[in-house]
Amino acid sequence: SRVLQAFPLPSLPRKQPTVLVVCGPAQNGAIGLVCARHLRIFDYEPTIFYPKRSPDPLFRDFTTQCEKMDIPFLSYLPTEVQLINDAYNAVVDAVLGAEAEGGEGREPCAAILATLKHIRIPIVSLDVPSGWDAESGGSGGISPDVLVSLAAPKECARRFLGRQHFVAGRFLPYDVQKKFELNPPEYPGTECVVAL
Amino acid sequence: QEEAQAIDQELFTDYKFSVDQLMELAGLSCATAIAKAYPPSSFTTSEPTVLVVCGPGNNGGDGLVCARHLKMFGYLPTVYYPKRPSKPLFEALTTQCEKMDIPFLPEFPTEAAFIDELYGLVVDAIFGFSFKGGVREPFGSILSTLERVTVPIASIDIPSGWDVEKGKADGLQPDMLISLTAPKKAATHFAGRYHFLGGRFVPPALQDKYALNLPAYPGTDCVLQLT
Repeated sequence: SRVLQAFPLPSLPRKQPTVLVVCGPAQNGAIGLVCARHLRIFDYEPTIFYPKRSPDPLFRDFTTQCEKMDIPFLSYLPTEVQLINDAYNAVVDAVLGAEAEGGEGREPCAAILATLKHIRIPIVSLDVPSGWDAESGGSGGISPDVLVSLAAPKECARRFLGRQHFVAGRFLPYDVQKKFELNPPEYPGTECVVAL
Repeated sequence: QEEAQAIDQELFTDYKFSVDQLMELAGLSCATAIAKAYPPSSFTTSEPTVLVVCGPGNNGGDGLVCARHLKMFGYLPTVYYPKRPSKPLFEALTTQCEKMDIPFLPEFPTEAAFIDELYGLVVDAIFGFSFKGGVREPFGSILSTLERVTVPIASIDIPSGWDVEKGKADGLQPDMLISLTAPKKAATHFAGRYHFLGGRFVPPALQDKYALNLPAYPGTDCVLQLT
């Protein structure tokens, strides 16, 4: 079962802990939902934008868990970026992951990404900055401040220019790590996140 | 005990959490708490070997998850899992451990002294808060042996064999207790060195509804040291 946890390190300002979590239609979006729930447990105030919901029962349950925890779901994403800049401290980009193929061209992702390109508050991307090609990276796409690579960094992470790069998802058995020659960094102690 | 069961019911029925999700978070808390109280460098054995004894229900499942995370944290867990439910969840958890080269003992060490020699720590994941009635074999003999073990024992949620509310004065006396979600009544009888809280997944609304009055977890930690 895909019980992943992605904990972006809380380098966000704590005094108004509002965070916008933008979730795409597939697995990356589902990870965003799990992340939002844990952010709520950590006393942040997440708000979710999840326009195209997956029919997968597991992901539908993730949605219920968030709703029952009083995490608001926006019915639309303001195109006026100043509204986003003013209301939130950061945006978690859980729109598209490594599995996306041309997904960024399809609505509503294209419109979301167009808006996110212009916001000024930090973006934390989960696994792959949405809209980037998982291997070659993106030009003219979004520029996240923080990248949280899941399990291991993807090829496109080489082009990441933001402030902090973390690896999270401490669950890869050693034989899988060896088989795919992943050489992940060592996680400190019992941490599930390591800064690169 | 009823309150704990009621909270669980709400989590599964209203919040739509899956058993997998909560068991994973619970098991991870246990491994994390153990790693904080008994870092590998503190072991008297040459390697940080841990015996994880898993019972026939969810407490056993928590133990399997815990064993897997202990392996990820650099410990060398060995599991004893004599009564396995034939449900996909438990079969999958077992496979995950096996694929990570965590050995499963074919039989339980007959003498407490053997356990003391081979392992630096025992994790008691036999019975949890749903435990009612008598202890069926093989767990009666297992608990008798564990009661004579001198290496530390870390119990998951309830020291196995204890009455969930009243404890058991002549029963297992673990060194560590990891209470999941909230401490149970039996925890008032706990006399060991380390009491941790784990299972950081109870939504604030449920905490209020059941007046759990849990102290705050530090930062993003999934465990809280109570004593």
